[in-house]
Amino acid sequence: MGKFEDSEGFKLVTQYLAAQGRTPFPFQLKTWKKYHTGYSGMVIAPTGFGKTFSVFLAVLIRYINAPETHKRGLKLVWISPLRSLAKDLAKAMTEVVETIGLDWTVQVRNGDTPQQIRRQQERLMPDVMLTTPETMHLLCSQKNNSRWFKHLKCVAVDEWHELLGNKRGVLTELVISRLQTLAPQLKIWGITATIGNLDEALKVLVPYPEFKTVKITAQAKKKLKIHAVLPDEVDVLPWSGHLGASMSSKIIPIINAHRTTLIFTNTRGQSELWYQIILEAAPELAGQLAIHHGSIDLKLRHWIEDSIVQGHLKAVICTSSLDLGVDFKPVDCIIQIGSAKGVARFVQRAGRSGHAPHETSKIYVVPTHSLELIEVAALKAAVKDRAVEARHPLVLCYDLMVQFLITLAVGEGFKAEEAYHILKQTHAFSFLNKDEFNWGLQFITQGGTALQAYEEFHKVVLNDDGVYRVQSRRISMLHRMNIGAIVSDAMLNVKYLSGGYIGMIEEFFISKLKPKSSFILAGRVLELVHIKDMTVYVKRSKAKKAIAPSWMGGRLPLTSHLSHFLRIKLEAALAPGIQERELKFLHPLIANQNSHSHIPKANEFLVELIGTKEGYHVFMYPFEGRLVHEVIAALIAYRLSQITPLTFTIAMNDYGFELLSDQPIPLDESNIEALLSKNQLMEDVTASINASEMASRTFRDIAVIAGLVVQSRPGARQNNKSLQSSSGLIFRVLEEYEPQHLLLKQAYTEVFNQQLEEVRLQAAFERISKSKIILRRASAFTPLSFPIKVDSLRHAMSNESLEKRVARIRKQALKDN
Amino acid sequence: MPIYLEPIQCNTEQLLLTNQRVAYWKAQKTLILSDVHIGKTAHFRKQGIPIPFKVLLRDLERLDALIQHFKPERLIVVGDLFHAEFNQDVVFFQKWMSTYQSLELVLVKGNHDGSAVKLYENLNIKIVENQLETTGFTFVHDSPVVQDNVSTFYISGHTHPGVLLKGKGKQRIKLPCYQWSTRQLVLPAFSLFTGLNTKIPSAAFKNYAFTADSIFEM
Repeated sequence: MGKFEDSEGFKLVTQYLAAQGRTPFPFQLKTWKKYHTGYSGMVIAPTGFGKTFSVFLAVLIRYINAPETHKRGLKLVWISPLRSLAKDLAKAMTEVVETIGLDWTVQVRNGDTPQQIRRQQERLMPDVMLTTPETMHLLCSQKNNSRWFKHLKCVAVDEWHELLGNKRGVLTELVISRLQTLAPQLKIWGITATIGNLDEALKVLVPYPEFKTVKITAQAKKKLKIHAVLPDEVDVLPWSGHLGASMSSKIIPIINAHRTTLIFTNTRGQSELWYQIILEAAPELAGQLAIHHGSIDLKLRHWIEDSIVQGHLKAVICTSSLDLGVDFKPVDCIIQIGSAKGVARFVQRAGRSGHAPHETSKIYVVPTHSLELIEVAALKAAVKDRAVEARHPLVLCYDLMVQFLITLAVGEGFKAEEAYHILKQTHAFSFLNKDEFNWGLQFITQGGTALQAYEEFHKVVLNDDGVYRVQSRRISMLHRMNIGAIVSDAMLNVKYLSGGYIGMIEEFFISKLKPKSSFILAGRVLELVHIKDMTVYVKRSKAKKAIAPSWMGGRLPLTSHLSHFLRIKLEAALAPGIQERELKFLHPLIANQNSHSHIPKANEFLVELIGTKEGYHVFMYPFEGRLVHEVIAALIAYRLSQITPLTFTIAMNDYGFELLSDQPIPLDESNIEALLSKNQLMEDVTASINASEMASRTFRDIAVIAGLVVQSRPGARQNNKSLQSSSGLIFRVLEEYEPQHLLLKQAYTEVFNQQLEEVRLQAAFERISKSKIILRRASAFTPLSFPIKVDSLRHAMSNESLEKRVARIRKQALKDN
Repeated sequence: MPIYLEPIQCNTEQLLLTNQRVAYWKAQKTLILSDVHIGKTAHFRKQGIPIPFKVLLRDLERLDALIQHFKPERLIVVGDLFHAEFNQDVVFFQKWMSTYQSLELVLVKGNHDGSAVKLYENLNIKIVENQLETTGFTFVHDSPVVQDNVSTFYISGHTHPGVLLKGKGKQRIKLPCYQWSTRQLVLPAFSLFTGLNTKIPSAAFKNYAFTADSIFEM
C-alpha cells in the first residue's frame, strides 16, 4: 500500500472539498487515515465542525481505494438518536456522492419512512442507511435479516453522548454486538460531544478486545459568552417559582437586538407560559414568535424548524426538544430561563447559537429566583475549567435483554449459545451470568417459574433444532409495535374539530378538564369539545387566559457536578471578585443571610432551626439536587422519628430541603452529628422510604419494555383493549407470585441507582461527615430557606401503617369539609 | 380471610356490603358480585403476557370462603363473569362450579361476556340478556343514569369504582369502593386482577371504601 495521501480516494475527496473552498480539518484527516488502517474509534467534536464528514468520508475513501472488497448493499449504517437530523444528513451525503460521481445511494429509514420505500429497501438495501437504534432492532425482527448486514463495513453512531447513559444506548450496544457477529470485518465509530468520561464512552461503544481503537479530538475550541440578566433590584428575600412578567421587559430588548433567539425553558408547561408572557409584553412579535416542544405535533415542529432555518422567526420558546438537531444558521442568541441544571446541557444549549466554528456562542441566563444568579457564576467557573458531566452507561437491563431475545426470536430465531454470546460481549451485559440468561429464556418460553403453571403461554417456542422462535403472527405483531426503550405516558392527540393536529397532551391532564374549559397548547388557547378514540377534539377559544398543561416528568435535578461549583460560588458570594457581576448584585441578600444565619463555606454544612406560627422547621442545604434531597429528607425524618414519633411535611428544591412539624423537633448540637452520620446509611434509607411504591413506579417503563404491558398509542387503530392492564397491577401480581423475578429486581435496582442516586447519596454523606456542621436558629425565614418554603412540591413523610393513614386522612378530609 | 360487613338500606331491602368485593342479600340468600373476568389471565398468557394462573385460583378461593361463610343459595353476577375467549381458565372454572351443584348461578350479561354464548350452555348458568328484575331491584351490568323518581333500585358493576384518598402533603392512596345512592349501588370488581377507576364523578354517590381489615363510609 502506498502513501494514504497518494490514494485515489483521498485525492477525489480533497478535490471535492477544495472545489467547495474547504480543506480538511486535522481531526478529519486523522479519522480517514485511522479508518483506512483498520481502526475503530470515536470522534469528539462539537456540532458544526464537520464531524459528519470525518467518518462518512473515511468510509467513502476506503471504498474508492478498494471497491473490489465491497459487495452490493449496505456499507455504512449511520445510527442517530434523532430522526429529524437524518433527512438533512442524507442530503449532504448524497451531494458528495453525486459530485464525486459514485453510484452509491444514501437513504433514510425510520418510523417516518413510507411502507413502499421500506419494501424497496428490503429488496435492495442502500449503500448508506441513516437510521435510529429502534429501527435497527425492528430490522433485526424481520425474516432473513442477516443477509442485509453480512457485508457491512462500518456502523457509525452519531451523538453517542445522547445515547450513552440511557436505555437507548443499551439498544445500540446490542445491535452493534449482533452486527459484529454477522459481519466480522465491521468497524465501529462513534461521534460525540465532550463528556466527562470519554474513555469509558469508547469502551462501551467498542468493547471488543480484538479491535484497534482510537480517540480523535477536534482541537477547535468554541468561544462562549455568558450573560446574567439582572432584575432591577435584589429583594432581601428571594422570590421563587415562576417569576415572569417582571423579567419580560428585560427579555424583549435582547430578542430585538438579535436576528433569531432560542429561549430555553425547563418544562413544556413553562414554555407555554412564557410564550404567553412574551406575547403580552411584545404583541408586535406575533407571527415572528413560535413555540416548540415535544408535545407539539411533529408537522408543526418541522414547520417551525424550517422557519428558523429560513430566518423567518425572531424567537422560539422551546424545551430540550431543540437541544439537538439541525444547524440553525440564523440563531445568534440563546436565552436560558431558570437553571439549566447541568453544565453539559448549558454548554450544549449555548452552542445552538453562533454555529459556525469561528463564531461566538452567546447565552443570556434569566433567573427565576435570585439564588439562581449564584448558579450563573458557578456555570461560568465550570465552563472556564471545561469541566463537563460524565454520562454513566447502564448495565444489566433485564427488560432489554428480554425484549432483545424476543426480537431475535421474531426475526430469524436464535440458538441459546449465540444469543448469550451477543449479550455477553456488550458492556451492558458483560456481568450477565448463565442463571440470569436462563431465567430470560424461561421467561420468554414459559412465562416464569414452573411452579406458577403458566398454561397456554407460548410466546417463544424452543424447536427441535435448538432454535428459539416466535410462531404466532399476532405475538410477532404486538412485539414489533413494542420495540424500543422510550416509554411515553398515556398521550392523547389534540385535533381541531375542523381537522388538523396541534399536538399531544397527557391523559392525566386532560382527564381533569371538562368540556368547554380552555387550555393552552402550542401557544394557542383551545376549548375542549370532546374526547373520542384517544383524540381530544378542540376548537379555538375566545378566552384570553387559560391553564397551561402540566406534563409529568421533566423536572431534572441539578447535576452533582454543577452542585460542586455552586457550593464554591456560594462561599465566594460573601466577597465577590470584581468580575463577578451577578455575585456583586446578590451581595445584599447574601449579607442578609450571613447576618441572620450563616453562609456555608465549601467545607461547611448549614442546618437552620426556624420556629414560626406554622410550626417547627428544620432546613438543611446539601446542594445535591431535588432527588437526593428527597431521600435525605426522608432519612433525617426517619432518624428523628426514632427519637420521638413525629410526622413531617417535606419540601425541597435543588439547594436544600425543609422538614416541618407541628411538634418541637428534637434536634440540637448534641445529636446533629449522629443524625447526619454516614453509618447505617443505606439501611436507614431503605427503612425510611416506601421502596415498594417507588419500585412500582419505575416498573412502569420496565413492564412496557419487557412486553408485560401493551402500550396504547395515540391514533392507533387497534387499541388492544382486552390486553389493557396497569403496570402497577402486574407489579403487585409479580411481587406476590414471583418475588424472585429479575424484572422486579431491576425495578428496585433502578430505584436505588436512579431515584435514590445511591452513589451520589453516599458521596454526599461522605462530604458532610468531613464538613463542619453549622447549626443556626432563627425566628423568621432566611434568604436560603425562603424559596424552599415557597416551593409547592410537598411530600409528607410518615411511618404509619396504611390503616392508620387511611383513618387519619379521613379525619383530615372531614375537618376540611 | 377476615370478612367485615357494612349494612346498607337499598330501597326496601337491606344488603350487607363486605370488604371482600361482594354484597350479601340475606333475605334472598343471594351473593351479588360483578366483574369476575374469568379467563383474563389465560387470555393474557395466550397473547404472550405471562400472568400466573394462581391469580385466578386466589379469586376463586376467596369466593369459596365467602360461600362457606354466607351459605347462599344463589349467586348473581352483574356482568363480565368472563373476560374473553374460551380458554384453560374457563375449563378450570367449569370444574370449580361443578363442586357447587345446588348453587344457582345467574349472569346478567356484560360487555365482556358477549362472545362465548356456547360456553354458558355447558356451564349450567342462567343467562339474562339485558337486565334482571326482582322485587325492588334491577340488576344490570352498566347502569344507566338513574333518575330520582324511578321506583326500582339498580345494582350494577362495570366501572370498577375506586376512590383516591388525598392526605396532607402528597399522600395518595387508591382503594376500591362501592358507590351507593338512594336509587342505585355500583359494585367493585370482584377479581383482584382488575384496575380501579377513580375518575367517576362521585357527587351523587356515597362511597364505601374497604381494605383487607376494614370497610367504611367515606
